[in-house]
Amino acid sequence: MDDVAPSTTRRGLLATVGVGASALAGCSERLWSQAETTGPEQVSLTIKTVPADDDRLAATIASRLRENYTAAGIDATHEPVSKAELYRDILLEGEYDVFVTRHSGFDEYDALYGLLHSQFVSERGWQNPFHVSDVTIDEYLETQREADETDRSSVLADLIGHLLQTTPYTVVAYPYTVSGVTEPLQLPIPPRCPREYIEVMSHPENGPRDGPLEVGVFGEGLTEELNPLTVDRNRIDGLLDLVYDPLVRQIGDEYVPWLAEDVEWPEEGQRRARITLREGLEWHDGESLDTDDVEFTLAFLEDTSMGSVDGGVPAPRYRGRQTLLDRTAVIDDRTIDLYVFEASQTAARRLLTIPLLPAHIWTERSEAVADRQTEAITVANEDPVGSGLFAVSEATTATEFELESFDAHVLRGTADRPELLEGFSQFEGITFRIAPNPGAMGGLLIDGEIDVTASELPPETAREIRNATATRTVTGTTDAFYMIGYNSRQDELGNPNFRRLCSRLIDREHAVSEFFEGFAQPATTPNALVGLHDWDFDDELETSPDTDPLAFPGTDGEPNTSRVQSLFADIGYRYEDELLLE
Amino acid sequence: MALVEVLLELVFVVATMLVTATLVIVGPRNVAAALQDFRWRLEACLLPVAALAVVLLIRWSTGDIVQRLERRVLRNNITPYLFELDQALFGTNPVAVLQSFQTELLTSFFVFVYIYGYAFLLIFPFIAYFALEEMDELSTLVVAFTANYAIGLLCYTLFIAFGPRNVDPLLFEGLLYDAFPQSRTLTNTINQNTNVFPSLHTSLSMTVFFLAWVTREKYPLWLPVAGFLAISVSLSTMYLGIHWFSDVVAGTALALVSVYIGVNYTIEGLVAASRRFFQTQLERHNADRE
Repeated sequence: MDDVAPSTTRRGLLATVGVGASALAGCSERLWSQAETTGPEQVSLTIKTVPADDDRLAATIASRLRENYTAAGIDATHEPVSKAELYRDILLEGEYDVFVTRHSGFDEYDALYGLLHSQFVSERGWQNPFHVSDVTIDEYLETQREADETDRSSVLADLIGHLLQTTPYTVVAYPYTVSGVTEPLQLPIPPRCPREYIEVMSHPENGPRDGPLEVGVFGEGLTEELNPLTVDRNRIDGLLDLVYDPLVRQIGDEYVPWLAEDVEWPEEGQRRARITLREGLEWHDGESLDTDDVEFTLAFLEDTSMGSVDGGVPAPRYRGRQTLLDRTAVIDDRTIDLYVFEASQTAARRLLTIPLLPAHIWTERSEAVADRQTEAITVANEDPVGSGLFAVSEATTATEFELESFDAHVLRGTADRPELLEGFSQFEGITFRIAPNPGAMGGLLIDGEIDVTASELPPETAREIRNATATRTVTGTTDAFYMIGYNSRQDELGNPNFRRLCSRLIDREHAVSEFFEGFAQPATTPNALVGLHDWDFDDELETSPDTDPLAFPGTDGEPNTSRVQSLFADIGYRYEDELLLE
Repeated sequence: MALVEVLLELVFVVATMLVTATLVIVGPRNVAAALQDFRWRLEACLLPVAALAVVLLIRWSTGDIVQRLERRVLRNNITPYLFELDQALFGTNPVAVLQSFQTELLTSFFVFVYIYGYAFLLIFPFIAYFALEEMDELSTLVVAFTANYAIGLLCYTLFIAFGPRNVDPLLFEGLLYDAFPQSRTLTNTINQNTNVFPSLHTSLSMTVFFLAWVTREKYPLWLPVAGFLAISVSLSTMYLGIHWFSDVVAGTALALVSVYIGVNYTIEGLVAASRRFFQTQLERHNADRE
């Protein structure tokens, strides 16, 4: 036995503890209180955003935000995460406190439904990534869906007012889109989405040309994965919308029948839409496209496991729109009835803009591969089969990506086609040239190797392009915005007052003039601050006491520390040595 | 093709530097003599070169797997720590301080050193040590490089770290890619922006410098040249906003470890040792059975 020594020690230790404990017990209540209470800690927040390589402006906003949080006494950390992984962290796993990212903008007011409704609190993707569950928000979201035009504006106004009070997220600015273009090419608007690509490709002065439109983009892993259902990827904007067609395409404020020849809302109350497909629709692989594919797509988005997993595995995309659907009824190959839940036609038609998936390919992808994951939402989908105007060519390399014209597309042949397609197409397909960074992309344009750039140009590269002889830049506006999102499940961020104050800690006008060099519009009006760029209703939004409800407490981008401290004190926080305490 | 142009220019400039340095430091006679009996020289360092080739091949062929493992499974993002460590050490950020001295001339110098100077620094010792009487130094160099890459690869898998230019565009500027965006075409094919800890630019350059010290009696002129270039390369990685001070310190430490391994171990020795180990294991196993 050689454990004599330890046992002595143990006995000694016990004795000491015993003496100590009895001593403590006899001690004053004050010592006990001190021992029992852990002191308040400094509020700490981690801001996640993409590295400057992916988006210089998002990284800049995040660094400014970090400085302002620090000035407010918050222990702020700035963590750069590659774009694909950032989406994974915020949209799939909810592992973040605060994020800064570019959002591609809302297609309609009803887009807020998917973004904020508590029914999506445990879903993945852009479905409630902030984890808010607020009955008031839910009620407004449901009411605006059902309301007619006149009632809708007042419900939306109430919703916006409530969102400014609770700020699950906030918008910083609406950047202009800027594209570089080589001299002879006519570019009506910087190309980001199908409509804009179609416009440049059908412009009468741009052709006809024996060859593709050469488009420059930059980024990492842009073409590695082409699954239209996944969100955690870096992608070329609009690429998959060129490959996958919807029943109805939204062109600006118009809803243009696309694969659908006709959309009929036959009944009063408009609970049902009768869709008639165009004749002779085909998938890129030659299979025919019929109403079974429509029925399949809408059901598949709700449950990509097709019933094999309990509770289902909803797709991380298009869910906000898909939830408008009650049920479908196939009448024949070309006719299908879509029954919607209580919703006005204005809101319900969003359902028709979901891109269609071929049933013969995606049915097999319903197998569960991991927890809450099916093959459908993990597969790379390297050879996408859609029904769009363009098909993905096999001749694709790491630096070049080809879209070839899909000649069997009905809208390429028929005379009865949307006005937009007049003169389409002067080019044979589209080739994307992938550069490693904006500077190299600008270089390709200046060297005449590409016709136009489609990734966002930072101000300095835009300047170089303007200064070169045979190139210029074209500026346009979109609904896209830079936003700051908060995870409502994280300590302090569960407090709406705290979030609202945090949302004031960025000087939006200063950011636009300094970081965007004026190539953006700051979000200052109530609708703009929640991501609704346009306000199409006649009645004005009620303005809060001060005109800018999320006004910056400071000047020229610098927060006024004592003012910020008193604002935090007003909502019940305390400071110690300039540190904000929990 | 932009990459081809960038590569051609690199080859031309570095070749010029190599020829000049070879003539001055090694001397034409030594090179000619070495080339005449190149056969035994190659044979003498075949094993370490094979080891280096294996490590480089693993690094090249497992790029996708390593990236996925690093970013999606292990997910150790240490960028905020590097930022704060730098800040804590100096009170202010050393990269920002270096960049505050920015002039056009200095930027051109550091861009040149980072790309051309670095390539030259890495290749020249191969020529110099090849021209020596013995191949020990060359073997040491190759083993040290192998260790650098192997340990570096391990760190790159374990840690996600973005460089200053990627984190905070307000504090740091990405001078290299602003001044020379095409160079990203080159570096992108070799490395990713999440791999900055440790700085392999620093570690390989410092390895060359430390070995130049070891061989200072044979090439006295090479020591100051290697020293100047190695320190310039290390500074350039920070000045250009690519690496943190911590990456450079870690890179220097990695260089010391690698040189230690290179000087004290040979691939032959390692092979023999592992063979002995397995033999004794086998014998013991056999003995147990009997």
